[in-house]
Amino acid sequence: MERKIGVYICECGPNISEKIDIDKVIDAISPYEDVSVVEKFKLLCSADGKKFLEEQIKKNKLTHLVVAACSPKEHEKTFMEVCENAELNPYLFQLANIREQCAWITEDKNEATKKAIRLIKAAIGRVRYHSSLEKIEIDSIPDVLVIGGGIAGIEASLQLARPDRKVYLVEKTSSLGGLVKNFEKTFLGMKPVSDIVNEKIHEIEKNENIKVFTDSEVEEAIGFFGNFEVNIKRTNEETEPVELSVGAVILATGATLFNPEKNPEYGYGKFDNVLTSLDFEKMNLTGKILLKDGTTPKSVSIIHCVGRKDKEYCSEICCMYSLKFIRYLKDKLPNISVQNFYSDLVIPGKTDQKFYEETKEKNVDFIRSSNISVAKKGNQLNINYTDENNNKKSLLTDMIILSPALEPTNDASKIAEITGVSRDDEGFFAEEHEKLNPISTSTEGIYIVGCAKGPKNISDTIVQAEAASGKILSSLIPGRKLEPEVKTSYISESFCIGCKTCLSVCSYGAIIFDEAKKVSVVNEVICRGCGNCVAACPSGAATIKHFKFNQLYQELREAVK
Amino acid sequence: MNKLKGALIHVKSNIGNTIIDLLEKSIDKGIFDAVIVPMKVPAGDSFVYVLVKDKSLIKDGVPLPPTMFVQGAKAVSSVTRLGEGNMKIAAVIRPCETRATIELSKFGQTNLENFTIISMDCPGVLPTSDFLKDPEKNMEIFNEAVKNWDDKKMRPVCQICDKSSMVSGDLHIGTLGAKKDTCFIISNSEKGNDIAEKLGINLKDNLDSWQTQVKKLSEEKKKKRIKAHKELKSKVEGIDNLVESFSQCINCHNCMRVCPVCFCRLCYFDSDKVKHNADDYLTRAEIKGSMRFLPDTTLFQMGRMMHMSLYCVSCGACEDACSMDIPVAQIFSMIADQTQGLFDYVSGRSLDEPVPLVAYKKEELHEMEDAND
Repeated sequence: MERKIGVYICECGPNISEKIDIDKVIDAISPYEDVSVVEKFKLLCSADGKKFLEEQIKKNKLTHLVVAACSPKEHEKTFMEVCENAELNPYLFQLANIREQCAWITEDKNEATKKAIRLIKAAIGRVRYHSSLEKIEIDSIPDVLVIGGGIAGIEASLQLARPDRKVYLVEKTSSLGGLVKNFEKTFLGMKPVSDIVNEKIHEIEKNENIKVFTDSEVEEAIGFFGNFEVNIKRTNEETEPVELSVGAVILATGATLFNPEKNPEYGYGKFDNVLTSLDFEKMNLTGKILLKDGTTPKSVSIIHCVGRKDKEYCSEICCMYSLKFIRYLKDKLPNISVQNFYSDLVIPGKTDQKFYEETKEKNVDFIRSSNISVAKKGNQLNINYTDENNNKKSLLTDMIILSPALEPTNDASKIAEITGVSRDDEGFFAEEHEKLNPISTSTEGIYIVGCAKGPKNISDTIVQAEAASGKILSSLIPGRKLEPEVKTSYISESFCIGCKTCLSVCSYGAIIFDEAKKVSVVNEVICRGCGNCVAACPSGAATIKHFKFNQLYQELREAVK
Repeated sequence: MNKLKGALIHVKSNIGNTIIDLLEKSIDKGIFDAVIVPMKVPAGDSFVYVLVKDKSLIKDGVPLPPTMFVQGAKAVSSVTRLGEGNMKIAAVIRPCETRATIELSKFGQTNLENFTIISMDCPGVLPTSDFLKDPEKNMEIFNEAVKNWDDKKMRPVCQICDKSSMVSGDLHIGTLGAKKDTCFIISNSEKGNDIAEKLGINLKDNLDSWQTQVKKLSEEKKKKRIKAHKELKSKVEGIDNLVESFSQCINCHNCMRVCPVCFCRLCYFDSDKVKHNADDYLTRAEIKGSMRFLPDTTLFQMGRMMHMSLYCVSCGACEDACSMDIPVAQIFSMIADQTQGLFDYVSGRSLDEPVPLVAYKKEELHEMEDAND
């Protein structure tokens, strides 16, 4: 095949032209094999630049295109679109990064020019061996599966449901509402919350685009963004699982409290009137704060950070709801004395701090302490502790509220296994990137919201539910076809030895094993082209399209020659 | 890892016959349906692995043959490469063959579900070319060497083998440290314990004398190994020496074909991927001034080294098969010690040890990081 490679060098205004002698680069590249045209342009990503490129490709009947410009992160897609417009397969194009990796990192114009020549030669060496890759399109299903009927799942379901998008909301308990439905008020605003949650549940119930499955669990979820096959099973009935197809999945499985019985020094489960924060929320919601014997407590102690040492992380919300408890107590029993035993107070943000200052004024003790242990003394509870000055002290109280750490719900591991979403060191679902992709997971189309990815307050949970809904609404549009990754991996049947190593390293569940042929097979629609299988394959059977051995070899050869 | 358990038993005439006896008894008791054991070929000049179903033929087995014509792991793998069978089979193979079998099992190239591996303290094997010069005489030389644990005539890698008593199969016959007319039966797995129980062998004896002797021998060999590798390194280190070392390679790929852990179905170097068009060769000749043919012989060796050194068990089969007398096994054993050492990995030590390519550790290989970081 006769190759006609066009090389276009972008001056990027002064960004590249000031640091690289572009004319010298053109002289060096021009005589190169298969190169039929080398040109420079002021700004190739501009409207004029794109038009120029498109005309050049057509006019010179180019078979391959090399653009020497900025990082592929910046404009690879731009130039691939130009190729498409000029009817050149966009994968017959290679971008040489002579800005970030060259012009911007040195003051030495001579060296920068030499490196630019190498990088462009490497791109030419590589592009020669590129093959056309064709886009594929698949139908997508706009419906969404939401796992977990707490505030996160409720909010996401309400955001997503519409006539052309069904939502299936699966809750393992018998009712919706999660932890939040037990809360009388929210912290900061001290606004009623359980009523609002009940309203939202009512809205869900009357919304005909939301189908709620209570007492149910997801048994299976196989597939890929736009097309997951899901099985839902009722937990206490011997019925056949319900089979559904959805385009996206939201994990909103929430969190649960660390069991304080694991730290027996707090006396939970041993002594009366030692409650967890959730026990106390529930009691408060009844409107009456009472001791076991039916009398009203005169003093209450709140112990923070229960289980923090075991879990090795701060649960973020306990300090704030502990302050809220003080408000509950003072509102209902104005004369009550309240002590807070804490090791560190975590009160971030502009409004939280104010809430703390205001709560502190209500004649409450904040005692920084360690080595807390609880014993029974008469009808009361005795808290032994070491204070900030290392003095051993004790205090008598009527009631103790423990603020335990939050931990993943016990079905998290099963859901992780079913969906293939990995978990972090603490057992919560792991996001794709903690800062840049905080609600996405390694599997496209599966999102995590709320406490399922770590302790979180209600407003952050709502924000995440809205964010995940936004992602789904903008990408999973009814009727629109999906374009899966084309730079996928494939496994050579003649090289594959059937060791299944690739199955164990594939993050996307994209590889299946053909038992008849004893070889691994990649499902190209699920494969995201990460390259794990290529790196791990002991017999060199796995290859990624567009990163073939020969393409890399030729690129490297030119770069180091 | 399993704690070794063992029993001291009486040896009838020689170790070989004791193993044969055990196999026969096991067949009688229905523990195994068949055995894989080396046998002498009718011509008397070679030994092959035979899958024996007829109990009366087991007596012809030679559990400790003087040479290794076929690496035992290849025999075991041939039987179960396509999955476990219904038959319970015992294979009598050497420790390096056992280790290669374990590696193959990690890559799904053999299925050990219904297999019991029986190994023994290994005195080494004679190079096949030496053996073939006079099989009868060499059989005597080998038997004599076994008695005195003398490795001077064995394969060069056997002479520096520090894992000749490594137990990684199910049962192991220990002769080191055992008094005259006795040997140890050592179990390394539940399967092994089970078989011993069915055979009425009580695994309660003290293994100290065997372990002490194994440790002593292994330490001596380790010293020899380090010394030999050091000398070898000076000869092959650097690109010029490396090319020189493999300069006689005729690209026959014998080393690859006999290698027990060369598990690829199709060798990359046998595939069309290494066949280039004339223009490519011309370009290469132009860059270097000239180009030798057959091309890429050193590349083949290095490619194989890159693939296999993590799993190499230093059995020496490649070197025996090399018609050009290139010390392939010695070079591979040196590289293997280093690459496996990087990952604290010993090929074939245990079935439970994942191969380094898939074992993810958060903290490792800091020594490979840029010193300026």
